[in-house]
Amino acid sequence: MSGASVTGPSRRLKWAAGILVVGYALITLMPLLWIMATGFKTSPDSIAYPPKVIFAPSLEGYVNLFTTQTRQTADYLAANPPQTWYEKIVHDRGMVITGTSRFGERFMNSVIIGFGSTFLSVVLGTLAAYAFSRYRIPLKDDLMFFILSTRMMPPVAVAIPIFLMFRNLGLSDTHAGMILLYTAVNLSLAVWLLKGFIDEIPREYEEAALIDGYTRFQAFTKVVLPQAATGIASTAIFCLIFAWNEYAFAVLLTSGTAQTAPPFIPTIIGVGGRDWPAVAAGATIFLVPVVVFTVLLRKHLLRGITFGAVRK
Amino acid sequence: MPETAMDSVARATPPRVARRIRGLSDRMIAWIFVAPTIFLLLAINIFPLIWTIRLSFTNFRANRPNAETAWVGLRNYERILSDPDIWQTMQATAHFLFWTLFFQVLIGFALAWLINAKFRGSNFWTTIIVLPMMLSPAVVGNFWTFLYQPQIGLFNYVVAFFSGADPTGFTMIGEVALAPWAIVIVDTWMWTPFVMLICLAGLRSIPESIYEAAECDRASKWRQFWTITVPMVLPFLMLAVLFRGIENFKMFDLVVQLTGGGPGSTTELTSINLKREAFEKWRTGYASAYAVILFVTVFGLASIYVKALNKVKER
Amino acid sequence: MRAFISGILRLRRGPWEMLASVLIAIGVVMLMQPYALWAFSWSFIVTLTGTVMFLIVSHFPE
Repeated sequence: MSGASVTGPSRRLKWAAGILVVGYALITLMPLLWIMATGFKTSPDSIAYPPKVIFAPSLEGYVNLFTTQTRQTADYLAANPPQTWYEKIVHDRGMVITGTSRFGERFMNSVIIGFGSTFLSVVLGTLAAYAFSRYRIPLKDDLMFFILSTRMMPPVAVAIPIFLMFRNLGLSDTHAGMILLYTAVNLSLAVWLLKGFIDEIPREYEEAALIDGYTRFQAFTKVVLPQAATGIASTAIFCLIFAWNEYAFAVLLTSGTAQTAPPFIPTIIGVGGRDWPAVAAGATIFLVPVVVFTVLLRKHLLRGITFGAVRK
Repeated sequence: MPETAMDSVARATPPRVARRIRGLSDRMIAWIFVAPTIFLLLAINIFPLIWTIRLSFTNFRANRPNAETAWVGLRNYERILSDPDIWQTMQATAHFLFWTLFFQVLIGFALAWLINAKFRGSNFWTTIIVLPMMLSPAVVGNFWTFLYQPQIGLFNYVVAFFSGADPTGFTMIGEVALAPWAIVIVDTWMWTPFVMLICLAGLRSIPESIYEAAECDRASKWRQFWTITVPMVLPFLMLAVLFRGIENFKMFDLVVQLTGGGPGSTTELTSINLKREAFEKWRTGYASAYAVILFVTVFGLASIYVKALNKVKER
Repeated sequence: MRAFISGILRLRRGPWEMLASVLIAIGVVMLMQPYALWAFSWSFIVTLTGTVMFLIVSHFPE
């Protein structure tokens, strides 16, 4: 304890460090808070000068995000009074709702493709990682490097042959195609990360299980898998976040049916000028799950971003 | 003796499954476990890669699949590597790469060093700082175009507030002189936490005893910083720089949403340029040669990266 | 320096990997430098040489 006080930072330094770091954190948070705030503004408030920090909250952005509207004449509006709260919001601006927008659909695509590819890459990744961790595989280092290098490749360059291949196989703009593609990209991360986690489980556990009469496979399912559960869970979240955020493949290889939210959100345009509250509302709905996951993951973040090389 | 033990186990497990699995040697299990991964990667990465290399020697156009394609040898490569426009995009990439790495290392290391002072609540604030890097670059990049709007944008307003400049007087993403910096700012905002996290790991890997020994030798804090802290963190920093370097070399999503390569082609980074050649002009053969050049560069950098990774792993 | 040269002569992994890395780095710098078009033109061959070399020498004994 006394040693720490000699070399450790002084009280004054701690204070200064705290103030600087908190200052940076607040600045870095500003764009994010601005996105969330803009989502609750009305259109005129969102483009006010000077930018409005205090404003009357409104759900206009969210209503616009999920619906399509057209402008109507005053007579028509007077003849058709609004029935629900969201119709009223639109009505007050001289518009009527004509239907639902594509956002819900695109969001669901993100969910389906994200979860589908995460599931596949974690299952395949766990099997491969176990084998790489426990068995002698010829050319192991080369295989591991090959697996990692596939993730490093520029997506736009990879997309050229994938585009042709998917077109020939009838996979372009389908969920299955995107799930396969994201699985392949995520697999490298999953194998590397999980190998790190499985390496940490002492071999003695399995050996004990084998002596107890378990088969190799049982030892894997009953001893290794439960031990690696947290590792598998955090790997899954990393894969999910990647698939969720991915843009390059999505914009180049999908156009309609299987389009995910990231390429869709930038295309949201309102009636007369860019509808920033709707864009911000979409961005908020899209970003909040990642924020939650990041908080859950904070202990394993470092591992995830260094492919399991740095463990704290 | 061992035989009876085995028999009792065999009775405990369902017979057919037991026989099937018992029959597998360790080697078989290893291959069965690895095979699906390797197969998928071969199908979705290696096969397309070989296809790209093949296409790069032709003048194939994907929007005219039925047209005659001719074998053009190395002509695509010759044309790309002597094209001043592509050289120009490489320089735009270099500008982006250099300055983002410069700022991220500077700010990231400083932040890590400050956080390592372990003030109250440092863990909470670290999590807050990390948030931007986990978000979707395309969605965030798109929103930054709003922040960069003259007059109504928050960024312009804040800059004007502190500098006294006219908030309508400059357009970050619309001016040739400012646009390259606009993308540097957003990338730095987004990825500084990445460098910070890795530096923090580096700082925490330094054993306290080294500083204690230095303290006994009456080495000044300044000297301790340059002779202990920096060299010990360097391998970690190297790792962060290499990874960010590779990522920003192939940068696409953030910048395409922010500026779309404009104004003119001032922020047209390599990947954006490649996308134009491949998916707008549909010069597939030519774009394939371009892609191969990027592949080889990234592959080369990735080998150095893995070397650095193993170096850090040994610590 | 002497260890490096003897490592090169005895086909050891460390120094050869270092050499290949330097070659790759030179190739990347040539690719993106703003000074000479000829350097840009030859960059790919340098990077390719470095990368292939790296693949081979990483199988040399430690």
